[in-house]
Amino acid sequence: MSRQDHIREFAAAALAEGRVDYFIGWTTGFNSSEVIPAFVKDPAEVDRLLWNPLCHHNLVTFLKRNMPDPPDAKIGVCVKGCDSRTLVALLQEELVDKSRLYVVGVPCDGIVDRRRLEKEFSDEMVDIAFPEKGKVVVTTRSGVQREFDQQAVLLDVCTRCRYPNPVYADDTAGPAVPEPGREETEPDWGDLADYEALSDDEKQALLEKVYSTCVRCFACINVCPVCVCWDRCVNRSRQPELVSQKVEPKSNLLFQMVHMFHVAGRCPSCGACDRACPVEIPLYLLHRKMNKELYDMFGFEPGTKLGEKPVFQVFDLADRFGD
Amino acid sequence: MATKFLAQEQLPALLEALAQGARVVTPVKSDGVVQFELWSPGTEVELDVLLAKQSPKEWVFPQCETYLRFDYTMAPPAEGAEGEAALPHETVHLRTTNEAPRQVIFGLRPCDARGFVQMDQVFGGYGGFYFDPLYNARREATTLFAVTCREPRSTCFCTAVGGCPAGQEGVDALFTEIDGGFLVEVLTAKGEAALAGVATAGGAGIAAPTGVTAGAVTGGALLDATEAQVAQAAEVKMAASAKVEPPFTLEGIRDNLHDNFADSRWHDLCMRCISCGTCTYVCPNCYCFNINDALVETKGERYRTWDNCFNPQYTEETSGHNPRAHKANRFRNRFSHKFWYYPDKYDSLLCSGCGRCIMHCPTRIDIREVLRVMGTPVAATAEGKEA
Repeated sequence: MSRQDHIREFAAAALAEGRVDYFIGWTTGFNSSEVIPAFVKDPAEVDRLLWNPLCHHNLVTFLKRNMPDPPDAKIGVCVKGCDSRTLVALLQEELVDKSRLYVVGVPCDGIVDRRRLEKEFSDEMVDIAFPEKGKVVVTTRSGVQREFDQQAVLLDVCTRCRYPNPVYADDTAGPAVPEPGREETEPDWGDLADYEALSDDEKQALLEKVYSTCVRCFACINVCPVCVCWDRCVNRSRQPELVSQKVEPKSNLLFQMVHMFHVAGRCPSCGACDRACPVEIPLYLLHRKMNKELYDMFGFEPGTKLGEKPVFQVFDLADRFGD
Repeated sequence: MATKFLAQEQLPALLEALAQGARVVTPVKSDGVVQFELWSPGTEVELDVLLAKQSPKEWVFPQCETYLRFDYTMAPPAEGAEGEAALPHETVHLRTTNEAPRQVIFGLRPCDARGFVQMDQVFGGYGGFYFDPLYNARREATTLFAVTCREPRSTCFCTAVGGCPAGQEGVDALFTEIDGGFLVEVLTAKGEAALAGVATAGGAGIAAPTGVTAGAVTGGALLDATEAQVAQAAEVKMAASAKVEPPFTLEGIRDNLHDNFADSRWHDLCMRCISCGTCTYVCPNCYCFNINDALVETKGERYRTWDNCFNPQYTEETSGHNPRAHKANRFRNRFSHKFWYYPDKYDSLLCSGCGRCIMHCPTRIDIREVLRVMGTPVAATAEGKEA
């Protein structure tokens, strides 16, 4: 039985038994190169749900305050490993009500970077298929077909994943995938090496450059599963104008810094912000850097244990405070 | 108006000639992302990717523009003064700015150009409403050289909203890619004026309209188009049009949006919306903006920035009441505005069918699907509830 079959079965049962009002999974978008979040209300419609390496959306986003509709809805939701960590982070701070959730964990082999594939073609991708394990076949509108090695086109975040299996779930869609021995191995921060090698001035210049194209659409903030202020974001405040509404590199950087600091300790760098950004700013960089700082200082990895207190809610004299 | 041929290798020379009298803006690919950027000699124009991430809207209606600077000085009252004269004397200095450099946008698509025409209504004082001097000065100084779409995407729906891949609305000259170069159809006096300084060959060049002095510019040779070239361009246009499948019919959409205002299907459609502003900021038509005053000590500036109807503060009132308190209310507004309120007020749709909102929405909310669903009458069995 495939993971997809498991998801459909769990969803159908939960809906039929009235344990949930709706079930959130993934389904095909406007063509089969796209996957979008699916909201299923009728057990007869669970066949819309799918699971494949394009299911990048972190569906925990739709559990945030103001998202459930009606507000007291009982919700079933699918989570991958990284998604489950954002859910645990919310649960640790009681930012979502566990009693109204039914969580289906989906062990994950890594998600394909659709944007990386998109850049391989000037034509529109209309189909992305996975005919066998490890193989990705892309078809464009004009009929061009090309094959890719799945490992070579994974999201960067997936190539360094330490939690491919959900850390929290009520049911799990199929067997676990092999995990790195987390006790024996350190996280791989190789993606930060280039950034960390820069001088302070160079870092400032780099950040201002990458944020110069920001359009302040708030996609990064609204899609972020652990960014929970919703309609009361300090970045929107105009009286007082705490963050300038001016769309310019320096203010854009401050805007992103606010996001980064406000989710520090909850953000496991799932990369949802990165993938939502319409102008493809590498937002993930700052969040990863914060993750590394927290790991180095406190040995803390956000959202890994349900009973654990988040790092900014504890005070320990044994903590190290940087160099 | 003239019909010319421009050889592919002459394009940089043409842009260089245009750049003598105006700034030139073209789609440019940088780190794999295509955006409209300032062109300079050596910049490669990206025409293979159909649509730049964002429309060229920003070049006429900037995301952020300062239009007023102010400062004030306080002088103490004169000794022995009485009454009002005893109050400190305040002097406020105001300086307005309105930069509208001459510019040519080359490489936009007919839907992008049509977007400007649709937006012109709201800023141009149509129907006796508001006239925006900032927008109009820029618009006036802008010439649009569009390129016919050769390979429309599946998300394109220009033909459903009255446009087409070779549409001429708002276009000053239309460039159509044919063997060896472009067929250039000069469509307006503005297009003529911009090309007036460009060297022409083969007899009948483009005459400069009265009052325009052709600069002493060479290069970008425009040849007279042959009949075969004109015929080939016609074929390219036909083939492109055939690739756009109208996903809905406009007929009845306005009335049905009206009748479905309180329909519960709005809730179902917006479930996956994250209420960000991506769709509005990539859109060639969305024009909402906000005004801010920034004051540091005695100096300040007033600037405006794009705003969008998904912003919770967009309709928030001073009292704290928000008539669009929920995501579904905001979601409904975007589509109703484009296909109902705006057409009612300005006799124009506010959508040119580029499909960028579909392509770049983080959850791929599909305006075609929304219009198909909400543009049809409420099913007899459906129980409408307050949206």
